[in-house]
Amino acid sequence: MNELLLVLVDRWPDILEATGQHILLSGMALFWAIIIAVPLGVFLTRYRKIAGLVLGVVSVIQTIPSLALLGFMIPLFGIGSLPAIIVMALYGLLPILRNTYTGILDVDKSLLEAGRGMGMTNSQRLVMVELPLARSVIFAGIRTATVMTIGVATLAAFIGAGGLGDLILRGISMVDTGVILAGAIPAAVLAILFDLLLAWVDWYITPQGLRLRKQQAA
Amino acid sequence: MDTNIVKGAGLMKITGLKKVGILLLVLIMTTLVGCSTKDDKGITVVGKNFTEQDVMANMLGLLLEEHTDQKITVKSFLGGTDVCFNAVKNGSADVYVEYTGTGLMNILGEEVILDPQEAYNKVKEEFSTNYNLEWLESIGFNNTYAVAVPQEIAQKYNLKKISDLQAVAGELTFGTMQEFLERDDGMKGLQKTYQLNFKGIKAMDAGLKYKALAEGQVDIIDAFATDGMLVKYNLVLLEDDKNFFPPYYAAPLIRSETLKKHPELKEILNKLAGKLDDRAMAELNAQVDVEKKKARDVAKTWLQQEGLIQ
Repeated sequence: MNELLLVLVDRWPDILEATGQHILLSGMALFWAIIIAVPLGVFLTRYRKIAGLVLGVVSVIQTIPSLALLGFMIPLFGIGSLPAIIVMALYGLLPILRNTYTGILDVDKSLLEAGRGMGMTNSQRLVMVELPLARSVIFAGIRTATVMTIGVATLAAFIGAGGLGDLILRGISMVDTGVILAGAIPAAVLAILFDLLLAWVDWYITPQGLRLRKQQAA
Repeated sequence: MDTNIVKGAGLMKITGLKKVGILLLVLIMTTLVGCSTKDDKGITVVGKNFTEQDVMANMLGLLLEEHTDQKITVKSFLGGTDVCFNAVKNGSADVYVEYTGTGLMNILGEEVILDPQEAYNKVKEEFSTNYNLEWLESIGFNNTYAVAVPQEIAQKYNLKKISDLQAVAGELTFGTMQEFLERDDGMKGLQKTYQLNFKGIKAMDAGLKYKALAEGQVDIIDAFATDGMLVKYNLVLLEDDKNFFPPYYAAPLIRSETLKKHPELKEILNKLAGKLDDRAMAELNAQVDVEKKKARDVAKTWLQQEGLIQ
């Protein structure tokens, strides 16, 4: 424990910089994962015939070990943050895509019928009925992806993208537990903080009406 | 009644969308900030994932910072040989320190060449024609396998060369890592080349073997010639007088294109030629591994002592 404190004092600027890089890498990867996966999930609910195929392909990506995937990226994108962000975004796709797809399909059909009866267009029904009602399931997917992405980001150091993984790798090489923990503990804290932040975002974008209903139910 | 509900829904839509929009905007802005901080094209020095490479990458970086006006980026602790080699090959990095043996056997997939100069000439020629990469002059140290004994044992049996072991091997227990036992250029070949018959051979973890040696459980171990632990435990390396271990001399490996653009780099990096022998490198490694100094500080102090930077 004492050793860890010494490392924290000694490497304070390094840890701060690595944490910043870690947040940036994870944030950008999540951004792209959400931008791709949510619309794609909605699209698949409209064209359910190809849903199995697309989800299958995305699942296959998940089975490739992250180190191998990082290795594949080097000939294509070189080293640094770009290939790392691409790999992390690819890993984040599956939970968001699957939850968006399932969440929207699970919306009560009678509510959709009601919407149609009120004269809503397709896009109105998507924005006013389906997305708000599937929101909690979609967010569950995004939160899963977030925790995973912050974990995978520790491997980004392998291809020169920096982040907290850099400290972890150095610690392993020097057989120095203090340095390993100086990378591992902030990474764990980040995962928890991001998860809480998303929980708040989830609550923040919940329409007033649905918020009330939840409170009454509780 | 109906219009009220739709109106209500409409309001909800606007506020909901606005909030989502605000959040997206924040995300896009962080993304843009992230992209704009991407490195400008300067010279990128990389290194593999162990201490010696961290020290060398920083050393090259500091040297270039001093003698060029280019923007220098140092990225050490990359995944390994594969990552560094591919990075300089496709141009996302410019230079790193590679070992002749690794270049010859791991990258080119050629057979062992025992003569150091011959091995160097071979990789220099092949890398230049196949990959457009240039081997600069060797820095001096040879990070190959070696055999090490504690000072007392070296004195007791008067050991200087590996062939001195022949007479006394029956009294010594050899501690080694599993990998060394399996390799052709490891224990099997060593015993055959030098006609050695040890009292016993104990396989153990690489980190444990130094402790075992210090506690007297084993008398002699295999080691990497530039390992910082050699300094910590004050061990004597026995000379490989029959040239059994393949040469792993370290030299900067740089893109030919980078050299064409900045020809002065060759002379600057060759200032390191022959400057560090095995022991000196081991001492630098020990400063990081044992004394817990930062690789960059260690590299800087050494360069200043040598008068290579201010």
